[in-house]
Amino acid sequence: MLQKIYDWIDDRIDITPIWRDIADHEVPEHVNPAHHFSAFVYCFGGLTFFVVVIQILSGMFLTMYYVPDIENAWQSVYYLQTEVAHAQIVRGMHHWGASVVIVMLLLHTLRVFFQGAYKKPRELNWMVGVLIFFVMLGLGFTGYLLPWDNKAYFATQVGLEIAEQVPFIGEALKTLLAGDATIVGAQTLTRFFAIHVFFLPGALFALLAVHFILIRRQGISGPL
Amino acid sequence: MHKGKGMKFVGDSRISANKTSKIPKDYSEYPGRTEAFWPNFLLKEWLAGAVFLVGFLCLVLAHPSPLEGMADPTDAAYIPLPDWYFLFLYELLKYQFASGNWIIIGILVIPGIAFGSLILAPFLDNGPGRRPRQRPVAVGMMLLALVSCIWLTYTSAEHVDWETRAEQNKPIPPGESVVDQGHPGYAAYENSCLSCHGGELEGGAGPTLIGTEHTKEEIMDIAVNGTGAMPADQFQGSDEELEQLADFIIETNEAAAE
Amino acid sequence: MSDEKRQVSRRQFLNYTLTGVGGFMAAGLLISPVRMAIDPVLKHDEGGDFANAGIAIDDITADPQRIDWTIDQVDGWYESEVTRSAWVYRNDDDEIVAFSPICKHLGCVVSWEGNDDYPDQYYCPCHDGRYYKNGVNVPGTPPLQPLDVYEQEERDGMLFLGKIQPHEEA
Repeated sequence: MLQKIYDWIDDRIDITPIWRDIADHEVPEHVNPAHHFSAFVYCFGGLTFFVVVIQILSGMFLTMYYVPDIENAWQSVYYLQTEVAHAQIVRGMHHWGASVVIVMLLLHTLRVFFQGAYKKPRELNWMVGVLIFFVMLGLGFTGYLLPWDNKAYFATQVGLEIAEQVPFIGEALKTLLAGDATIVGAQTLTRFFAIHVFFLPGALFALLAVHFILIRRQGISGPL
Repeated sequence: MHKGKGMKFVGDSRISANKTSKIPKDYSEYPGRTEAFWPNFLLKEWLAGAVFLVGFLCLVLAHPSPLEGMADPTDAAYIPLPDWYFLFLYELLKYQFASGNWIIIGILVIPGIAFGSLILAPFLDNGPGRRPRQRPVAVGMMLLALVSCIWLTYTSAEHVDWETRAEQNKPIPPGESVVDQGHPGYAAYENSCLSCHGGELEGGAGPTLIGTEHTKEEIMDIAVNGTGAMPADQFQGSDEELEQLADFIIETNEAAAE
Repeated sequence: MSDEKRQVSRRQFLNYTLTGVGGFMAAGLLISPVRMAIDPVLKHDEGGDFANAGIAIDDITADPQRIDWTIDQVDGWYESEVTRSAWVYRNDDDEIVAFSPICKHLGCVVSWEGNDDYPDQYYCPCHDGRYYKNGVNVPGTPPLQPLDVYEQEERDGMLFLGKIQPHEEA
């Protein structure tokens, strides 16, 4: 049955070569923990991606209950934490995932760095990777505000003050981020929400796609 | 692959009618102990992923995600702290050379150099050798940066009493007020204390009164004579009202502790 | 299944295990989010939330009259006062009936004798839907079901109305 469905689709869109491109490639000995246990360091990148998947999933579900509005944001988070079954777990996944993803990303970056894997011809992929790191930090910063609790509010205010200190463009930068020159409030929250849920994830997807395509193009770096 | 006239298509599409084999390549002939990604290696990766997921879910179940009280811009007593992965930047700005007149160094120059050299690492460290020993400068810089980040994060986190902090900022459930507005002391509280200590004793310009360790006598004394940053003569009324006020604060605390 | 012995090849075995492990991960990932998403479906409405409709039992006559009252509505984290309305009358068996004014056709609001051409009927202005006095839809007009009725209760001589339920006798 499954075979027939597959054949039916394959007849029409010739799926096998696509499939082959994605899934069918060799894994050399030096990255395989079955042969050299120390090769577990090559898992960090994959695990980072796994946590990103967790973040996307839990985030999608959280928006079912969350409203980016200063009157209701905290209320809705409090409501989902206390009234909705399993919602505390989902928010926990998103909250802890945000920390774990930074840890895994750091480990992955250090692995690549200390192995010198960014050297020619993989310079571009390293830069894309560092950009992904920045995007992740941005996601962390914007996501921190969304529950609209004291911690969120004051940390964001400090972050915006820092932005304001930048010479020449500081004030414009702060206003751009906060939506208002002096108030950290309703407009800040909607902005941060938009950045957190649409802009940065969009950038993240694009960068991840480039990251993975480059890995498949160039293959994994050789043994030291 | 057929070319030219020999090529057959499905209908009028550009899909080749000649099917490629569904059996993946055999990598056993490759040099070394190469393995196919699908399904051999992916299975191992997924097993690692499953173990990781179980660990992660245990963490999530053991530590519910924290939520503090609703943002209150007037809460002057609140000490802001960023998430842990920004603590190193936060701590950096406490140093003299990175704050005040030198703030540019703290927010632009140092992070700029650090992140700039990170993104440009392949061009700064462009020798042929990949082993750490062959590129002592790059590795040394990275270790230095890493150690300073860890050090900064540690010093920053060390000063914080995380448990008290979490305790003080617990959210007040909406609609579950612990304040008994019918209490004889409430009127005195409303007149003398509420503007600074909040309608739910949650604090504001002054600290929260929930969890106070003062005795009734001490509360009566503070209300009249002040303490710390709190000026004297906040309470002006009869002795009986003062006693009722202290009773009110103590009883509200008892109600909140339940 | 065919009778010939089919050996599970190494590749097939790996694929099955892969599906199993993948399924485990997907389940671990999705179980909580999905439970959270379907929570509203599984939440049982306790019912029994009767609100004072603001009309004394003795004031209800055989002529349907429109009553409006407000209830405290808790919608997740949002609490508000919502106005409800009903048409109440005393039927021939001396029972009090409270109809929801929501037309069963497309949800417009019906009114008693809302059209001079149809006295003694509920009339919906949107698509000329009509109901008899007992709430049953007039055959041949757009509505396909009789008007819904409120659960009701008498307390201290006042009418208390609760949940909206489908009209039973029809």
